[in-house]
Amino acid sequence: MSRSTPIEPVRKSVRVTAPIAHAFEVFTSGLTRWWPHNHGIGKKPIQKVLLEPRLGGRWLEISQDGSETSVATIIQWEPPHRLVMVWQVNAQWKPDVTMKSEVDVRFTAEGANVTHVELVHHKFETMGAQAGASLRKDVNGGWPGLIERFAQEAERSSPIQAH
Amino acid sequence: MTYGNALTVLADPTRRQVFERLRAGPHAVNAIAAGLPVSRPAVSQHLKALKAAGLVQERSEGVRRIYSVRREGLADLRDWLDSFWDDALEAFKREAEKPTAKKTRSR
Repeated sequence: MSRSTPIEPVRKSVRVTAPIAHAFEVFTSGLTRWWPHNHGIGKKPIQKVLLEPRLGGRWLEISQDGSETSVATIIQWEPPHRLVMVWQVNAQWKPDVTMKSEVDVRFTAEGANVTHVELVHHKFETMGAQAGASLRKDVNGGWPGLIERFAQEAERSSPIQAH
Repeated sequence: MTYGNALTVLADPTRRQVFERLRAGPHAVNAIAAGLPVSRPAVSQHLKALKAAGLVQERSEGVRRIYSVRREGLADLRDWLDSFWDDALEAFKREAEKPTAKKTRSR
């Protein structure tokens, strides 16, 4: 029941056919070009997703009405090899600056045009045992709300009103 | 592949309605059928399809069969529908591998 009981990190990796500098640039400055816009915690619909490319820079969701939601803050910045972000999202997937799980992304050149990218999302235990386990499950497996959105769409497109 | 079935099975609007009714709680076939514009046997068929896809389960209560949502079935579907970092990294890879206009026109 201890708050500090470690929770297993989520580890993901991908190998991209691109030089390390390019891969790092796309991941960071180019975030909005690839980040799935349904993966958001702020106001929908999302217009763009920015990562301020510097130490202390924020991951910002900009919604179409102009409102900004901060998702994460960069706490380690070593281009083009590594960035670490503190992930300020709680177990309900709401922005929360007191949350401190971390996303550690490392880039390794395996050739002039091949980069291995390893992402570790960890320190879930800092959120408390239950909340940490819940967020861990979500980032490892699923994104909350998607099934609900699917269900909503299914209901919306249904010819007969449910009651 | 359970989730594949789940998607196919839920593509039918009437079946989705049957399923939606069960989200509110367990029901007997008659209660599910009440108010739906399809016959009771048709509802039974839909329930059979939902059960085969792992989305609902049934139990007997005397002569009645009570159906309820099978939570694990929904979890499978949800896992399939999305996987947070996997999806994100896959999208990142596609973007990073796009040829850049200024660097390499031809390889």
